Amino acid sequence: MNLRSAIPAMILSFIIYIIYTGSVSPYDLITGVIVAVIVGLLAGEIVVKDPGKALDPKRLAYLVKYTFWYFFVAEVKAHADVIKRALSPKMPLNPAIVRVPYYVETDYAMTTIANSITNTPGTVVVDIDPDRKIFYVHWIDAKTSDPGEARKMISLEFEENAKKIFD
Amino acid sequence: MKASEVFVLVSIIVFIFSLAYITSLGGLGQLPPVNVRVLAQRYLELTWNPLKPFMSSSGYESVTAIVWDFRGLDTFFETAVFYGAIIAAIAIYRGVKITGKGKTIGMSPIARTITRLSIVLIPTVAASIALHGHLTPGGGFQAGSVATVVAVLIIMVFGRKAIIRKGLTKSRILLLRSLGLLGIGFTAVALLLAAIALGVNAYIFQNQPKPFAPLGFPKIYDGMILGGSLLLFNFFEFIAVTAGFTLVLLLLSLDEKDVRKVVVEK
Repeated sequence: MNLRSAIPAMILSFIIYIIYTGSVSPYDLITGVIVAVIVGLLAGEIVVKDPGKALDPKRLAYLVKYTFWYFFVAEVKAHADVIKRALSPKMPLNPAIVRVPYYVETDYAMTTIANSITNTPGTVVVDIDPDRKIFYVHWIDAKTSDPGEARKMISLEFEENAKKIFD
Repeated sequence: MKASEVFVLVSIIVFIFSLAYITSLGGLGQLPPVNVRVLAQRYLELTWNPLKPFMSSSGYESVTAIVWDFRGLDTFFETAVFYGAIIAAIAIYRGVKITGKGKTIGMSPIARTITRLSIVLIPTVAASIALHGHLTPGGGFQAGSVATVVAVLIIMVFGRKAIIRKGLTKSRILLLRSLGLLGIGFTAVALLLAAIALGVNAYIFQNQPKPFAPLGFPKIYDGMILGGSLLLFNFFEFIAVTAGFTLVLLLLSLDEKDVRKVVVEK
């Protein structure tokens, strides 16, 4: 058991406990702390490799900023685009699977990019080659088959943010 | 429109209307009027009733109060049947070694990363379902079922052997399950044992004080609803169910070759 890795896991567990019970009564605060300490000690090492990074306030601020930007800007744009395509009588579709390279080091950053791509309508990560650091992305409107260009159009913003938060 | 599409559309409409009809009909023949469903009324009235302390249970949640208090003995035997089944499964697989040695392939690094995070999130949510079972819908069995999802995910995403490498060996899971069961049994007779020591009267499965049986589990402390025996039953059931399900999943995920070697050939 690594005590330093346990602390970020404990904080995450406590926040989830309070959100899930939906109450901050003394009973929930006390049981929440007990549960968080146990879960944090058992799972800390599995979840946290670098506790200093996990508790860095600058990274947390970037995470909050990215979350808001992702859900209220990136998602809205992507939804609007797909809605337009679905409602248009011409059905302007040009689907293809393209290679999208990524240049981040940690698994968390890579997963953030992959899930950001998948969760926006129109693009889905269908496979990953971790050795060559390439996502295979299904794109509803494949504007290019060049990996570098595709990265600029699909994942560059996600990647820059993921790098600041996790790498 | 193709014939198959029409068929799908019609069957959805028929399904929705028949569901609505069945639930509004309620049954055939003479149905008891709403105002004479006495048993339901009693449960709702007595689950949390400070005016009738000798007859009421110790939490806000009627279902938990019914399951572990009003008909606690029934639940105890149900639990015994459930663990009988798990013991039978273990007995069938007796002698089969479950080791963490060898290669695991698992799924993509994306699935692995998300699963790692869920190892914090799922047990936390499960614990809140168990510890809140006397206040809001939930309870030990539900919490244990939720927590078991972690085992399913680890087996799927990291490979079965990863569970054992993380320290959850068969004997440790068995130990956890036994601790949960012992806890349930002990909670059922705890007040009886205390009553013998103190020279007073008590019942098995007693939760709150009754006439001529003055002992009871703590119901409220400093404004917090502790739930008396309900909290303890939910907690121990949570541990026992999680361990029981995890163990069975681990057995089911074993390779047929390894099982046949022991069960058929020896």
